[in-house]
Amino acid sequence: MARRSALLFLGLASPAVLVSSWFSGLAAELCFILLVMAFPAALITLAVARDGLGPLKAPLAALTIVLEVCGIAMLLLQGQVLQGPWFGGFPVAAAIQVYGLWLGPLLLVALAYGLTFDRWELPEEDLRRFDARRRANGGDTER
Amino acid sequence: MTFSIVVSAVVYLVLVTAVGIWAAGRTKSAKDFFIAGQKIGWVVTAFATMSAAFSGFVFMGGPGLMYRVGVASLFICIPVGFTSGLLCWVVGKRLRLLAGLREIYTVPDVILCRYRSRRASGLAAVAVIIGTIGYLGAQLQALGILIEMVFGTRALFGQWSLLGAMILGSVVVVFYATAGGMVAGVYTDLFQGVLMVAAALAVFFFCLQSAGGLEAMSRSIVSSEAFGPNHLDPFGTLPVMTAVGFFFVFAVGLLGQPHMLHKFFMLSDPRTLKWMPLVIGLTQSACVLIWLGIGLAVPALVAQGRMASLANPDQAAPQFLLDFTPGILAGLVFAGVLAAIMSTADSFLNIGSAAIVRDLPKAFGRRVRNELLWGRVAVVGLAVFSAVFAFLYEDLIALIGTFAFGTFAAALAPAVAIGLNWRRVGATAATASIATGMVVNLGLEFLSKQTVVDWLPSAPLKAGVLPAAVSLGASFTVLFALTWLSPARHDPDLDPDVDFVMQI
Repeated sequence: MARRSALLFLGLASPAVLVSSWFSGLAAELCFILLVMAFPAALITLAVARDGLGPLKAPLAALTIVLEVCGIAMLLLQGQVLQGPWFGGFPVAAAIQVYGLWLGPLLLVALAYGLTFDRWELPEEDLRRFDARRRANGGDTER
Repeated sequence: MTFSIVVSAVVYLVLVTAVGIWAAGRTKSAKDFFIAGQKIGWVVTAFATMSAAFSGFVFMGGPGLMYRVGVASLFICIPVGFTSGLLCWVVGKRLRLLAGLREIYTVPDVILCRYRSRRASGLAAVAVIIGTIGYLGAQLQALGILIEMVFGTRALFGQWSLLGAMILGSVVVVFYATAGGMVAGVYTDLFQGVLMVAAALAVFFFCLQSAGGLEAMSRSIVSSEAFGPNHLDPFGTLPVMTAVGFFFVFAVGLLGQPHMLHKFFMLSDPRTLKWMPLVIGLTQSACVLIWLGIGLAVPALVAQGRMASLANPDQAAPQFLLDFTPGILAGLVFAGVLAAIMSTADSFLNIGSAAIVRDLPKAFGRRVRNELLWGRVAVVGLAVFSAVFAFLYEDLIALIGTFAFGTFAAALAPAVAIGLNWRRVGATAATASIATGMVVNLGLEFLSKQTVVDWLPSAPLKAGVLPAAVSLGASFTVLFALTWLSPARHDPDLDPDVDFVMQI
């Protein structure tokens, strides 16, 4: 289900990205942002889904939400540097860009990858199968 | 130039040459030459991936761009927050496992193995060679300019100064890339990566100190007439389509960058992928601090009246380093910039020579007998060709250099990233996607930037839309459309090893 949804999204989002770049106005910009910000998580979902997303469900949902919310917020805050509040040394829109879009996903993604690696990305069972195949091909084991 | 900068540059060049001599004794086969014998640990691989990805642009061009357009420029580099995870999840594991089962040294090798199509692989090799000449030429040109600046050779050699400086820089890179191949490449990358991170962190500290901290810098910029509030508005100076287009190309397009994908083939043990995203993400983010730091500090200092307004924004980084940092730090950063340029150049020398010696002959059903020897010859040939091309056609090489990332992204990302994760993608869809990405990107970039032929139309794009974003969208669209249009019962017949890796 997760894989099919990701494929469907990527397959439809690709031409939609193209089409939206030929239009102007807030709707086209919003559409472009929504599609682009969801693209990375959809690609990861396609790569990691095996009967669902397992422990990666929450991190991937969080990544999508962070990127989408930051993108939309920056669009809505456009032109309001002088009116809005400040956070962490920046006007709020720039703060969202620096702390939300850049630094926010940094630990979320890297830790999600590292902490779920042995259980989901490359479990011992998969490594054993890989080693067996490597030996059958005439190579050494990887360990 | 101060004495410390000259000393740092000399020490740096001597050290990388020494690494080349050391690595030469450890390069005995084509596998050693092209993928460092597949014996590289994860920390070295992570640093090599980071330093190959970041050229001198992050250290010099980035701050200059931020001086010119403000925080909108950050959309180019802030995807580093998640792209290391994206890279490892989407392609890293499968590339490494495939390289453990089959003789895979290059991205066109992967495409040949995955799609069993010499046409798709050959097209990918052509895309790699075109992008390599652009990237490499631009790096060698930047290397020449920097060496010329550090050693002040223009006063001595006049119009031949740049050529002489380019030759000097190229000789060092070519020496260690030829003698030590990828063994030299990754270990110089490790040294260069550490240097880049140290320099960036130190400079960021001096930026904060010299201009009064983040908030003081931001308030100075916002209240100045020269820059104003738009400078700190993410969509203030560039159209949304441009800014988010940068984000799209530099995030998703990363999955098609051969100099980064190539590093996964070298990893000694696939289990060590575990903490690579953390190391790559942290080190890349540390390097981006120099972009953010100088990019904020220089306009703030100009706004505060402590620095003269810059006639050329690209002077932002050198001017700040010379005026506001101790000589030894300026020396460290100039060495860091040399490191950033050379680490990218050596990666491209390696993948470019592999494309010439392995991938193109394989696309025609042939195999070069002594790949190690001819790989070395190709490194020298590629460097000479790129340097001469860059010297003679300065504008053209700058043009190709700027769209090389987009060419790799549009040509290779869909075929590699989707193809390694969806078995239904066939050779026809992959070939068409690679061709579309390459042709559309080269065509649009050329039409939008060329000024030589008057009668040619400009690119049919709305103002602000990036050719690379359009071509990336187009190549994904072609891949999906042709895959879905092919009958489901004609699922491609995969190589058993590829099928196995795609199931893991």
